[in-house]
Amino acid sequence: MSSATTTVAPQAAAPPGALRAAWQRPAARKLLLLGAVTAVLAPFAAARWGSGAWPSELAVSLDGPLGRANDWIIDNRDSHWLFLHFFGHISNAIITAVRTVYVVLLALGWAGVTAGASLLAWRLAGVRAGATALASFAVCGLLGMWVPTMRTLALMIVAVAASVAVGALLGLAAGLSDRMFRGLRPVLDTMQALPAFAYLLPVVLVFGIGVAPAVLATVVYAAPPMARLTALGLRGTDQGVLEAVDSLGATGRQRLLTARLPLARRELLLGVNQTIMMALSMAVIASVIGADGLGDRVYQSLSTVDVGAALTAGIPIVLLAIVLDRTTAGRGSWAGVPRGGTGGHDQPRRRTRTATTWAAAIAATVALGRLAGTTWPETWTVAIATPVNEAKDWMVQHLYSGIPGIGGTADWAAQYTGWVLDPLRDGLQALPWWGALALVAALAWLIGTWRTALTAVLSLAAIGVLGRWEPAMDTLSQVLAAVAVTLVLGFAVAVPAARSPRVDRLLRPVLDVFQTMPQFVYLIPVVALFGIGRAPAAAAAIVYALPAVVRIVSQGLRQADPAALESARSLGATGGQQLRQVQFPLARAELLLAVNQAVVLVLSVVIIGALVGGGALGYEVVFGLAQGDLATGLMAGTAIACLGLMLDRVTQPTKEANR
Amino acid sequence: MPAADTVAAPVFSVRNLWKVFGPKAARVPDSELAGLSPEELRERTGCTVAVRDVSFDVRKGECFVVMGLSGSGKSTLVRCLTRLIEPTSGTIAIDGEDVCGMDKGALRDLRRHRAAMVFQHFGLLPHRSVLDNVAYGLEIQGVAKAERRARAAEMVQKVGLAGMEARRPAQLSGGQQQRVGLARALAADPEVLLFDEPFSALDPLIRRDMQEEVVRLHRDEGRTMVFITHDLSEALRVGDRIALMRGGRVVQCGTPEEIVGSPADDYVRDFVRDVPREQVLTVRRAMRPVRSSGEAENGPALNPATTVADAIEAVARTGSPARVVDSGRCLGIVDFKSLLSIVAGLDRVQPLGKAAA
Repeated sequence: MSSATTTVAPQAAAPPGALRAAWQRPAARKLLLLGAVTAVLAPFAAARWGSGAWPSELAVSLDGPLGRANDWIIDNRDSHWLFLHFFGHISNAIITAVRTVYVVLLALGWAGVTAGASLLAWRLAGVRAGATALASFAVCGLLGMWVPTMRTLALMIVAVAASVAVGALLGLAAGLSDRMFRGLRPVLDTMQALPAFAYLLPVVLVFGIGVAPAVLATVVYAAPPMARLTALGLRGTDQGVLEAVDSLGATGRQRLLTARLPLARRELLLGVNQTIMMALSMAVIASVIGADGLGDRVYQSLSTVDVGAALTAGIPIVLLAIVLDRTTAGRGSWAGVPRGGTGGHDQPRRRTRTATTWAAAIAATVALGRLAGTTWPETWTVAIATPVNEAKDWMVQHLYSGIPGIGGTADWAAQYTGWVLDPLRDGLQALPWWGALALVAALAWLIGTWRTALTAVLSLAAIGVLGRWEPAMDTLSQVLAAVAVTLVLGFAVAVPAARSPRVDRLLRPVLDVFQTMPQFVYLIPVVALFGIGRAPAAAAAIVYALPAVVRIVSQGLRQADPAALESARSLGATGGQQLRQVQFPLARAELLLAVNQAVVLVLSVVIIGALVGGGALGYEVVFGLAQGDLATGLMAGTAIACLGLMLDRVTQPTKEANR
Repeated sequence: MPAADTVAAPVFSVRNLWKVFGPKAARVPDSELAGLSPEELRERTGCTVAVRDVSFDVRKGECFVVMGLSGSGKSTLVRCLTRLIEPTSGTIAIDGEDVCGMDKGALRDLRRHRAAMVFQHFGLLPHRSVLDNVAYGLEIQGVAKAERRARAAEMVQKVGLAGMEARRPAQLSGGQQQRVGLARALAADPEVLLFDEPFSALDPLIRRDMQEEVVRLHRDEGRTMVFITHDLSEALRVGDRIALMRGGRVVQCGTPEEIVGSPADDYVRDFVRDVPREQVLTVRRAMRPVRSSGEAENGPALNPATTVADAIEAVARTGSPARVVDSGRCLGIVDFKSLLSIVAGLDRVQPLGKAAA
């Protein structure tokens, strides 16, 4: 970008030769074209609609129609055939399924569930995963969170089953049909870039508040990775193997069942793993629209700033995430290792033996559960809420401010808000609307293609048309500031991690844990540290996005061609020169991906940050939900989706652009 | 020489085969576009010609080698034979049956029972054991489990992998993996074996072993083979006849001796320049006419198919010229001079002179 501007800047005074030289560079050419278009259109736009925020003449108020639609749905929910015969059945089926699973979990009893989960984890991923599961469920019980944990688990089981089924079917279709793949892929890519909050309101509009919309929102949020990975796995099958299979005269069905699906196994399992993690993340957030369980406890506690209670419910969420991830990810890696000596001959006998073992284990589990009782015994719990709150009060008194020399956490938060967020927000809001459009177009076009630029500009314009320009700029300022901090910190950590295997080894388990945690739980510690406002939301966003950035950047740097590095070293390049001149340029694609991921992840948490006082678009969604004013919420939700789309496209390097 | 061999009916008969990749590929053959050079064609139509007007017969029981450098279209050609790649135009017949006109079922039948292929990168299923990989073709055909396992075990034995039935492909060396690929192809007991650069990915020593394995199989079972390779020495070692391809076209088709002894053009000549001629050319080519009746009576007798290298050994051992004898009739004489002129390549000028005359 900087090199492009330097070539363009002197063009006014430069001789035509320099202009022609600039014309040779694609980046400069794009900027010149865009500059010309802006120069023609901007004065006209400014004269007609002014140069402030998005002009009200160009906005369309959807409050009326949306409100009427909402009223109509509420009036007709119990009478119209669409609800009676379609949505009603879906809703009832979901509620019945969740309730059934919940009843089964309760019937198994605490001992049964713990033993069953541990056995399952042990069988799928080894002894350590089994021990982790055992300890985690025990801690959930000890914290007195057994019932909410089971409620969340029941919701999760139903949502994951549905997500995997839907995702696998879509993925199968996209994996086998090129047209389907071309159609589905941009949709899936876009869906993965949107913050979870954007999915809540449409389902609430149709299904109201409750368990059914929560499960549906979770399925919509969690199915895309499964679909994507299934399709990619099926398409990524080794062409040589497929050709060999064809040469033996296999039918299409044989090809799919004996070659493509087994070969895509790793991707399928990874898809299941990702779907489970996303489902957990969403199932917790969906407490905002009526999912009960752990998320609801955290939500209620956060709204009263009861950190102790929030932590009591937050710890089981984290533990659940770790158990689910270890269990399913372990299976993925196990699949890749060829198991020596397991011949085909003894398989049937082994299978019956396994079946017997399983039957015995299940019988024992059920018996254990019946004996031990349904829920965790009252007397075995440890109340940590009070001590945690006392510790937090101590922190408020001692760490918030007035530490000589470095200030305190509240001081930092105030400074971040006052010196970074406010000026940035004011700047963005003062930016003329056409200027913002031109800026977004320039950025998106430089990094991607004219197509991504067009999508980005249209998304931004849609926010203006919806009349959500000001709050969107507020959200944008929070995102940009947090992304900047994330990238600086991320690079600062990733570079040493890429250069030293020891740092990498130390970092890896930390990253693993951080990457498995749902977005929601990050809000708990930041509230304890920074109180309420935009700064804690930013802190949560940074902590959430940091692991992904560190991982992508350090991997990108480490993957740099060793031969290129060696030749640079042999020419006498210093460490810094190697980094700047070899590793960074070679890792360009990964670095851009890191920026893209940082933006997407930060946005998702900044939006949830509304629950801890982040304000802006996220607040409008929460407010709309709380007040039953779905029109406001829905428009804010759409604006969030548009913002997500815009930010994703602006930072999305395409293959064409890399060429 | 060709007249003597036409007795055996061709297994594969390929006529005017074209394969063009690119948009509206079908318009390229049989039009003025067909005459264009590859660069011009790409410029004008965006199409690439992989196989250009190729015709040949594969006779029963022979090992037919298609040789050429990478990009010469040889791999595309062999895939066209079972329509793994759909040919653009031309005809292919297997035992007189039109392959291009086959419907899906007939084509599947052809691939299942009549022509099996061995691939450069093996194409094994990584999640199956060696035995199940070998049995895979039979499984596709719907052979019952016990029977296909028994037959697969036999094939595994035959290619020398006994005791490794339970391993996964990833646990085998490259040579062993290709043996699995070979066993899989053999398991279906096909009429023709198609090899697509089967040993290119292997170490030289293992490659040699595998080549000998193929030669042995060919000799023992007399199975018809089509063998694709870019390695001239491999082609000379395994091939009964060789088709040399360049730019999608067959530039010369003949026995190893014809290719080495009478290259059709400068490209082929350049190609075979470094071949140890005495190991390929036979005394039939080296011999001179009998000058005196005494010559026709004395000295060691050699078969016309004896290589020059073997003849040198015989002549050097006895110290006298040797007779080339075919079914009791003396065809000619080889002496030091005639044998050495082959080694020195002095006979190269001869065909050119003949062509000029």
